[in-house]
Amino acid sequence: MSRERILKGIAVSQGIAQGKVFIYETKQVEVFQIPILPVYLKDEIGRFDRAIKKTEHELRNIQKRLNYELGENFAQFLDAQVMMLSDKAIIQKVKQRIAEEKLNAEYVYHDVIREYAEKLGASKDTYLKERVADIWDVGSRVLRNLLGLTHSSVVEIPTGSIIVAHDISPSEAALINPKSVLGIATEAGGRTSHTAITARALEIPAVLGIKGLIGKIENGEKVILDGDRGIMIKNPSAGKIHFYEIAKKKVLELAKALSPFSELPAKTQDGRRIDISANIEFFSEYTHAKKYGAEGIGLFRTEFLYLTRRGSPTEEEQYRVYDALAKRMKPCPVIIRTYDLGGDKIFSDYREANPFLGWRAIRVCLDELDFFKMQLRAILRASVNKNVKIMFPMISNHEEVKRIHLVFEKVKKELRAKKIDFDEEIQFGIMIETPSAALLSPHLAHQVDFFSIGSNDLTQYTLAVDRGNEKISQLFEHFHPAVLQLIKQIIDAGHQTHIWVGLCGELAADPLAIPLLIGMGIDELSMNPGSIPRAKMVVQAITIPECEEIAKGALNFRTPLEVKRYLRRNIHRKFPGIDKVIK
Amino acid sequence: MVKKPLKILNENGLHALPASRFVKLAEKFNSTVTIEKEGVEVSGKSIMGILTLACEKGSTVILTCEGMDEKEAFKALRKILEGQN
Repeated sequence: MSRERILKGIAVSQGIAQGKVFIYETKQVEVFQIPILPVYLKDEIGRFDRAIKKTEHELRNIQKRLNYELGENFAQFLDAQVMMLSDKAIIQKVKQRIAEEKLNAEYVYHDVIREYAEKLGASKDTYLKERVADIWDVGSRVLRNLLGLTHSSVVEIPTGSIIVAHDISPSEAALINPKSVLGIATEAGGRTSHTAITARALEIPAVLGIKGLIGKIENGEKVILDGDRGIMIKNPSAGKIHFYEIAKKKVLELAKALSPFSELPAKTQDGRRIDISANIEFFSEYTHAKKYGAEGIGLFRTEFLYLTRRGSPTEEEQYRVYDALAKRMKPCPVIIRTYDLGGDKIFSDYREANPFLGWRAIRVCLDELDFFKMQLRAILRASVNKNVKIMFPMISNHEEVKRIHLVFEKVKKELRAKKIDFDEEIQFGIMIETPSAALLSPHLAHQVDFFSIGSNDLTQYTLAVDRGNEKISQLFEHFHPAVLQLIKQIIDAGHQTHIWVGLCGELAADPLAIPLLIGMGIDELSMNPGSIPRAKMVVQAITIPECEEIAKGALNFRTPLEVKRYLRRNIHRKFPGIDKVIK
Repeated sequence: MVKKPLKILNENGLHALPASRFVKLAEKFNSTVTIEKEGVEVSGKSIMGILTLACEKGSTVILTCEGMDEKEAFKALRKILEGQN
């Protein structure tokens, strides 16, 4: 029996999978030159026409599925692929050369495509250079159809498989069938790659970015994929298998026990309503939010709009996604957060040493006003649905909020002048996720309609800890007394000015934290959709006065460990029902 | 024949999406459409051709439309190049 081995990667989609490895490789297509007898030339051209038609049909099907998952009109990049495919100049050239040179269609087509790819590859423009991949994506699809090769397609993967690949192209990722694929592991990719987005949408566990994965694993091998911890276990020991079987069973049982709560309102024993909403990353996740009983979208991250493509999406493209989401969620509120990435994602020549302390989020927006205004217009236009709120990330001072207001008012004025409708009462909120904003919250509260505490970033910036760094990640602690004190200050500051205060971040979903946060007075908790039933169950088990008592005592400790021990003890004493959902 | 030099003002240059819009629109007209940049001429109805021209924002191209509906074609296509569409 070989030894157990743990392969580490990036956890991008939760869950545990046990299954057989299916190594998925996209092989280069080999093309040979074959002379064609003149009498067969007509057939050869007909064969070429059919391959083009078949490929177009395939691309259209992929597009349909992508549009369904990522939102109407999102798969426009495939339009460009279809146009490349049916480009008359190319088709004519191929046909002409088949007839003149009396050679087979594969060879001629490959040659013509290569010519274009080389021209593009020589371009100085990085965007155009990357289109070479598109050309070959289309080109090899046609070649495979010409050669009658079955696509080594994810569609044909046997049931019970864990896909292992170097990378999965967006068009292939869209075809993954959740009924047969149990998990995904790749060498390339990260949290925001297409594969990650697809895996989360389909609720399939996935671990990406595992270095040297393919060399370490064999087809058909039995492995365990742990999408919570970001690992793949090769040759799992009997003990590990047992451990994961129990873990999986527990998760299933708990999900079953909690599922009735998704339909109930989040109301405490003594009748206080707490808004439980969902954090979602892309459009189609609204179905998960609804399924798990979210009472709104507390955080719509707009980053995927920027990450699944090069450059900025147009106003129209953004508007369609925001509008569709608002319509599907009606009458529940949808909070749209503006651009929250580093400048490097849009302005590709930009690099910096310290991105998390650098030119990102609102700082980029306030410098690049045309870019910012485009997103503001798109959000405002979607606000005619009357359930849209806007939220700005990464605020660290008073001037930023003032400047956002100026830009926002200007955009509104321009829309009014053009007679474009929007919600004049749209709520304007900011994220409090830097210590400076937290400490200034009594002042900031006068300028906004709501606060949303971004507890992950607030923890990172308060403790000066990058949780991605393994050497220090143990220092990253949501229950750090310093973090909790800031959270308390923010909530108090908001309430003194009569604005509501929410929290979106992992803390919002933690059963140990929920009674504490509610005791501190939080109005809304926003979390990943899957955690909602559990949070609702916790809310229904508690009463406000007892939570307030817990909150009062919780701020007197020196270490995260002391805080957690205190919370466990008190929750156990006051609300024994919650115990079973606390880790 | 309508033939004029134009500056590409479209935000991202004439990249895949604007280029595909351009081709779709060009195909609606009877006129032949060509784009010329730095002495290289391609059909305005071929997306691959247009892409290989690498038309960045700020670069100059010569747009030519020739045929029965050349005026309308030129007017409409110019808008895409100049980013008004």
